[in-house]
Amino acid sequence: MNPLLMSLLLIVALAIFGRIMYHKILLLMALEPVNRFNHIKVRLLNMVILAIGQKRLVGRKKEWIAGIMHAFIFWGFCILLIRSLSLYGEGFVKGFQLPIFGNDSIIGYLYIALKDIMEGIVLLMAAFAIFRRAVLKPERLHNTWEAYFVLVMIVVLMISDLLLDGARYNLIMLYNNPDHLHFFNNPQYGSEFLWTPVSVGAAALISWMSADVTGYILVGMFWLHIITQLTFLNFLPLGKHFHIITALPNVFFKNLEYPHQKAKLLDLEDEAAWEDESLGINHIHQLNWKQGLDLYTCTECGRCKEVCPAYITDKPLSLHEFNDKLKFELFDNADNIIKRAKLSATIKEDGDSEQMKEIKARVVELNSKKQLIGDVIEEDTLWACTTCRACEEVCPVTIEHVPRIIAMRQGQTLMAEAYPKELNPALKGLERNGNPWGIGYDKRADWADGLDVKTMADDPDVDYLLWVGCAGSFDDRTKKVSTSLVKILQKAGISFAILGVEEKCTGDFARRVGNEMLYQMMAQENIETLNNYKVKKIIAACPHCLNTLKHEYPQMGGNYEVIHHTEFIDQLVRSGKITLNKSFQGSLTYHDPCYLGRYNSVYDQPRSILKSISKDGLKELTRHGKESFCCGAGGGRMWMEETIGKRINQERAEEIINKHVENVAVACPFCLTMIEDGMKELEKEEEIKTQDICELVAKNME
Amino acid sequence: MKILTTVKKVVDVELTMHVEDGAIVEDGLQYVINAWDESAVEASVQLKENNGAETTLVSIGGGDNTDMIRRCYAMGIENGIHIDDPALAKADASIFAKVLQKVYEKGDYDLVITGKQAQDTDSGQTGIILAEYLGVPCVSNVIAIEVMDDQHIKVSRVGDAGTEIVELELPAVVTVDVSINEPRLPQMRGIMMAKKKAIDVMDLAALGTSDDEVEGATPKSEIVEFMVSKTRKAGQKFEGDAAEITAKVVDLLANEAKVL
Ligand code: SF4
Ligand code: SF4
Repeated sequence: MNPLLMSLLLIVALAIFGRIMYHKILLLMALEPVNRFNHIKVRLLNMVILAIGQKRLVGRKKEWIAGIMHAFIFWGFCILLIRSLSLYGEGFVKGFQLPIFGNDSIIGYLYIALKDIMEGIVLLMAAFAIFRRAVLKPERLHNTWEAYFVLVMIVVLMISDLLLDGARYNLIMLYNNPDHLHFFNNPQYGSEFLWTPVSVGAAALISWMSADVTGYILVGMFWLHIITQLTFLNFLPLGKHFHIITALPNVFFKNLEYPHQKAKLLDLEDEAAWEDESLGINHIHQLNWKQGLDLYTCTECGRCKEVCPAYITDKPLSLHEFNDKLKFELFDNADNIIKRAKLSATIKEDGDSEQMKEIKARVVELNSKKQLIGDVIEEDTLWACTTCRACEEVCPVTIEHVPRIIAMRQGQTLMAEAYPKELNPALKGLERNGNPWGIGYDKRADWADGLDVKTMADDPDVDYLLWVGCAGSFDDRTKKVSTSLVKILQKAGISFAILGVEEKCTGDFARRVGNEMLYQMMAQENIETLNNYKVKKIIAACPHCLNTLKHEYPQMGGNYEVIHHTEFIDQLVRSGKITLNKSFQGSLTYHDPCYLGRYNSVYDQPRSILKSISKDGLKELTRHGKESFCCGAGGGRMWMEETIGKRINQERAEEIINKHVENVAVACPFCLTMIEDGMKELEKEEEIKTQDICELVAKNME
Repeated sequence: MKILTTVKKVVDVELTMHVEDGAIVEDGLQYVINAWDESAVEASVQLKENNGAETTLVSIGGGDNTDMIRRCYAMGIENGIHIDDPALAKADASIFAKVLQKVYEKGDYDLVITGKQAQDTDSGQTGIILAEYLGVPCVSNVIAIEVMDDQHIKVSRVGDAGTEIVELELPAVVTVDVSINEPRLPQMRGIMMAKKKAIDVMDLAALGTSDDEVEGATPKSEIVEFMVSKTRKAGQKFEGDAAEITAKVVDLLANEAKVL
């Protein structure tokens, strides 16, 4: 159309865009390293399913309409990319056609048909999105001018392209100008316009215009489209719509460890790390580059906070704000972080010590002047998280919040020594007696008195080690669960033993509150004991123990086959080692523990057991399975007061009460305590009984 | 201000003790810092942090106390002295006080803070006898310490009917109750630094005491035997309707307990 204008626009737009992107990439490269270039095939598959397939948007039952809306806009954009390229070509060469997508191939025709329909759909979807934001106002979305601006740009892009095609059609068909204007016309596939109903529709809308005006429309729409597109491109990196560029790579580089990136096994003796304050995350430059990319990518959709127990119960933890605050701190310090990284790279351990000292001092000078916890993120925000992972499970762009929160807690506990002091009694209990209640370790196996349970010391050759856990050993209510589990195992004739007084807390809660020192102490002692007895298979009676033993002990040389009691009971039932009676009366529901469900993907086995014993079947709670709602005790919260907002356990207890059930089954000692307490607080403990699956099975087996 | 804090290693009272032939069975026991002394350590560290003070701790007897002393270093104590001597095997409070007097005299301290009692013996005498030996004022059962000036402190003590506020001229001895503070949990940084710190271990000779002062002094009391206290029998639980339960209880009271 106008090669000069086109060149000018492209040069300016791409130069600005290139500069912005270069800076953003430089910033990522200055952050901490993490390897995300392995298992390329798996990564590509993730990208196809999660990003291109939009699995978490379309697949979320609760919001499938919004999901489809988003997916079509996204797919539409992908398809329109090709069209854009040919439009840019057209700016230089009249009648420009991309190879393959040209006049002479069916692909070209199919493409223009697809593009045409997609443009119509995207237009409708964008209009719906505006309507949804302005009128329906879903709670999780916070309405910003930016969101509307982008939607309006999308509308403009679609309309301008449709009108461009419409004007072209009218000029060719109505005003008989086929030579002047280019269009597909292949004897085999016919005229282009047979394939583009939406553009032809647009043409009809402007068919009343004169040839001259239509000519102006054609040119005007062409440039409007190009300019909007280039503005759009440059607008993206400035705000939340950066995700349009970064979402695909973010999903590609997603962590592949299950269920999320494990807490780093810190070398607590590393003096340099103490000096650099690099144990845990203490400064914004200590994020790794993927965590930086996460911040670029957060779409502020609010799905995470909508499922977050802390947010729902009015704690000062709103995840997208958390992301936003970190992002701005990152951007505010971008130049210094880049300089810092360059300077750090020049530090050599064997270099001139005076000079190195001076460089190190300059590096420290470049740290952010703000305290990461305190000035950027509030303390109460950091400690409100129960590490339930609900947020991670719903995030459409697979952002991981929990590892970041744990690393920040490590920083607070180890470096700043500024953790909630109310944790001290539990931590001290761990230090002295290997359990958070601080009860004498010698009483750990008292619950098993008279039950004829062997210890590993009695018989190290048993098939299974039963890992009882602290609650199962010391908490009066949970001891009954341990007793039931023993009954089941004995009934099934399983050869098993416990560690007895040799068992210690796995250290789960210490790790979640950032006390890596106590965690490693517990883990090391337990691993020594377990390896000493050459333990191979463990049945864990607590999802937190299960998770730590299974996923975290391997970091320290403890490799075992670990299975939760519900999984094991399910196996026993299937193999006929125990027979369940469908004799349980009364309506029944099941509360998924976070560390069993979201952390270990055990959703079906507990349900299958319950269905086998319940006469009245199993009622699901509104929030169940992957979107189950935390009891409030995870992440060390069991040992902290809950003074802000509503109590999480009451929120959950209310949900159960509203389901009008008489029984709720759980599979975790913390859930048992929290939900039972919730029922007591709401004076419902007589009407609604809370029991572990073990207890129900023990009472309903032959 | 120079503060001397005394610490004692005691059996972890969370554990159940077993006695055989009048002696405690050591197997399976673990030793920890006496809870009251831990509060004394915390009180000293807080005075150091808030008012500036040099803190020293002393432990007496009990074999190797390295772990306990390191833990106190990690809490913030600066210097540690450990007095170990076979002659102290049967020492009682009066002997400990005598040894403490020697330590005190060598160090020119302004304030001695001790736990008001030890979890193992619960005798609560050492600090008070020490004050007597030193001829300095003593307040026991203290729940708050406030520095007034170089020469004076103000302490609160719990009495029978309420709290007393007492002003003291230094040097002085105070014995503190556990309610004075919530002792901090040593963290990694402190623990690492503590590892590098020396502990001044000495026997009585090194402390510079003469035979008749400590070694020759006879303890004023002696432990002859340990006994485990009897645990209460578990109560009985009755289930059923009110009438049944009443009948059962009345029957038991009349025929078994014979109180009716
Ligand atoms: S973190 Fe994920 S779920 Fe939360 S607002 Fe950002 S994109 Fe949405
Ligand atoms: S892990 Fe759970 S509590 Fe923590 S931020 Fe995510 S949803 Fe909220």
